[in-house]
Amino acid sequence: MSAQTDDPTDERLIQDALTGDDEAFTALVRRHKGKVFGIASRYARNDHDLDDLAQEVFIRAYRKLDKFRGDAPFEHWLSRIAVRSCYDFLRKTRPEKQNVSLDSMNMTLTDIAADKPVSTHEVREILDFALNHLSAKDRLVITLLELEEKSVREVAELTGWGEANVKVRAFRARKALEKVLRIYHEP
Amino acid sequence: MNLEKRGKLDKLFAAGRPAKTATGPVEYGFETRLLARIRAERERSPWAEAVWRLIPAFAAIVVALGVWNFAGRNGDSTNLHTAITGHADTSLLVSTLTGD
Repeated sequence: MSAQTDDPTDERLIQDALTGDDEAFTALVRRHKGKVFGIASRYARNDHDLDDLAQEVFIRAYRKLDKFRGDAPFEHWLSRIAVRSCYDFLRKTRPEKQNVSLDSMNMTLTDIAADKPVSTHEVREILDFALNHLSAKDRLVITLLELEEKSVREVAELTGWGEANVKVRAFRARKALEKVLRIYHEP
Repeated sequence: MNLEKRGKLDKLFAAGRPAKTATGPVEYGFETRLLARIRAERERSPWAEAVWRLIPAFAAIVVALGVWNFAGRNGDSTNLHTAITGHADTSLLVSTLTGD
């Protein structure tokens, strides 16, 4: 069996999916779900949200599949859909009330400032707590720029906002985050 | 911007980068669930889809008709009431004056 038969390209799978071949679309999903889950996991509050969000991304991709022109890799096209779906999710959902112990948060923040090792669970809890105080746009920009380490240009492409807009929003979002952390953590 | 605070925020971000949720359990069986949803959506008839999409328009039309009908009836009933009471008063006046 040839390598091409074993490992069809994304374009081939898209063509097949457009003719109604569900197996081809399943293969596309299997190939790219890691990326989508990676993006969605930064915004989902729990496993249920994560599943819903990832499904929403692929449903939107499925509906728009005929609009994929192939001038950029499918993964980039799908990432844009994923980021916009996450933004819609942030706009629609209210942040969960978190029971974060202020003492433990203070200790963790002090440890982080002193470059001491901290558990990823605690960091995630503090980050979620702080990011929940931001607007959907600010949270998206901070997550993409600071946690996903995307460049301003990449964030602009993913969100569809202008680069200047991304920079201004990132600056404001950092200010807002500093304010939140100042309230809950005064050295 | 306070450099110390900026440094603290950067350190928090650096510590937060690897802090991702484990997606393995949710990824299990994902394709099956997704395909079931896509098939259910595809099997829904286009008419049903169109009707669902037109529901807000239908609702707006019903509300508009209701408002129009209510306003119209109120207007009519006022006029009618005036006409009837006016007519009644006249007939009462006539019957009183003529003795019929």
